[in-house]
Amino acid sequence: MIPETIFVAVLAPIGFAAIGAMLVLLGEVLLSRSQSFLGRPWNARLVGSVLAGVSMLSLLLGLFVSIQWFASGDVQVFNPAHPLLQLDRFSALASALIITAALLSCALATYYLEVVGINHAEYYALLLLATAGMLTMVTAIDFLPLFVGLELMSIPLYALAGFDRRRLSSNESALKYFLIGSFASAVLLYGVALLYGATGSTSFAALREGFDPQSPLALTGLGLVVVGFAFKISAVPFHQWAPDVYEGAPSSVTAYMSVAVKATGVLALLRLLALGAAPLGGVGATVLDGPDAGLLDASLGQVLGGLAALSMIVGNLMAVIQDNVKRLLAYSSVAHAGYLLVGVAAGTAEAWSAAVFYLIVYTFMNLGAFAIVVALAQGGRDCERVASFAGLARARPGLAALMTIFLLALTGIPPTAGFFAKFGVFSAAVNVGLVPLAIIGVVMSVVSVYAYLRIPVLMYMHEPEEFAGAPAQAQSGERFVLLACAVAVLALGILPNGGTLLDFSLGEQRFALSVPSVLDWARAAVAFLVP
Amino acid sequence: MIPLEHVIGLSAILFAIGVVGVLVRRNVIVVLMSIELMLNAVNLAFVGFNRAWPGSEGAPSLDGQVFVLMVIAVAAAEVAVGLGIVISMFRNRDSVDLEEASLLRW
Repeated sequence: MIPETIFVAVLAPIGFAAIGAMLVLLGEVLLSRSQSFLGRPWNARLVGSVLAGVSMLSLLLGLFVSIQWFASGDVQVFNPAHPLLQLDRFSALASALIITAALLSCALATYYLEVVGINHAEYYALLLLATAGMLTMVTAIDFLPLFVGLELMSIPLYALAGFDRRRLSSNESALKYFLIGSFASAVLLYGVALLYGATGSTSFAALREGFDPQSPLALTGLGLVVVGFAFKISAVPFHQWAPDVYEGAPSSVTAYMSVAVKATGVLALLRLLALGAAPLGGVGATVLDGPDAGLLDASLGQVLGGLAALSMIVGNLMAVIQDNVKRLLAYSSVAHAGYLLVGVAAGTAEAWSAAVFYLIVYTFMNLGAFAIVVALAQGGRDCERVASFAGLARARPGLAALMTIFLLALTGIPPTAGFFAKFGVFSAAVNVGLVPLAIIGVVMSVVSVYAYLRIPVLMYMHEPEEFAGAPAQAQSGERFVLLACAVAVLALGILPNGGTLLDFSLGEQRFALSVPSVLDWARAAVAFLVP
Repeated sequence: MIPLEHVIGLSAILFAIGVVGVLVRRNVIVVLMSIELMLNAVNLAFVGFNRAWPGSEGAPSLDGQVFVLMVIAVAAAEVAVGLGIVISMFRNRDSVDLEEASLLRW
């Protein structure tokens, strides 16, 4: 049966990313054959910048569509005869967040790729394809597109992790990511197969109706699916790959991976839980009864809460003993997966809004911290050791100040946005009675102070241990990313609920700078899932 | 007709063999084959379950079988990238043993 109408608009964000990837590949083939471009001699650097521009343009188009869609609040289903994708407020906000992360990563990469000698245009094509996969995952309302999106996200990322193919640690990173990633996909897929056996359909809606909490088949299936997601967002005990992969991959790839994959995993999990497993255990079986009742069955909530507690404990404790910055940030991302899961496990609309807000803040603060590592790369290699940050405040005061802001945000200290993000998640957990989780979270945040603030101490209070020639200048792309992330982290911290930051008049002219209420966006998006 | 339990039982056994292979074997190629085995166990389960959910008269449901086609296509792409990664590592190290991939640790 051929459906009467196919709503192509639903595919727009995904399509822009995918078409951008193809244009980049075509562009490289065509451009690299010509000798000159607009009168300038053609070189790899120029090709790289032009193709980065093309990919950023296609991402901007996708971002524009997502924002429009979020503002309008429409709901549209791709292929109504057999619903696979659905663009709504939640997926529009999720798409906008992922595209923003991809845009910043593109801007971050242009100069870095040249410094480490891997300036190939395939980088942007792979990045765009991975983005298309992520957008498919957060738009999916059926396991089929969820799985295809998961693989479309993962396969380009395996290649990106090994992009510096002459460096052994990059090979090793790619190999580990590939083996663990495909293992996780297979586990998730077996869970999907069992859920299909239990309900007779692969759509989330059918899962919601046909799920029988007494059936071992359905419970095993759901368990395997949750394990697959836990691998992707690197929650303990499924996190061992993260430090190795994050350390070995090129820093610009790590920056993208650490924020975008985690955001996609958590957002897709929220969507699956809301649209699929909501009445698990019968309608009303929740962590708490009453008007503030949670959305999850108590047992699933406990599983997610356990993952959250383990991730917070292991991530923060392991971060303390690292002497490699990328590895430190990898364990920090494990810990942040824990904070995010606290919000997911609490399971109220309030908690989920807090988790989505946390993701938005996390995207900016983590990308910013990795952008510093990227900007410090010199002479073909990364500046990875914690000790090499010593005395940075004298050599490059701007970078040191920004790094301090990002680390304070990751620790969760006001007035940065990290504080409000954590506060929201923990208070939501307390409201549904998950007090132990909140206590673990707060105690572990204190532990993390030591892990993170070692770096500012080194930067400001120690003499530089080595001077590798004259300090390099941060490039325009890197500057843009750093400033954008810093502004976002500070603005969301000072005014988490939005409002006017600056309002003054100069003569006749009146200037006003207002901060959008990102928390309200998160609430609006979650309100779609959880009315 | 083979009962559904047998199909799913075989699929579960294949999946378990695959998981054990991934966890125990140290040769990358064998690990890759074990992952393929897990994916094929998934395919078998989907086909088996599709027989339990054939849809209604006149509107047959082929969800499970369509899923299998997708899994096969994606698995092929995955293996292509995976073997590429293995080759690039082999060029640098002359080995496909996972024990030796220990540059990144702690």
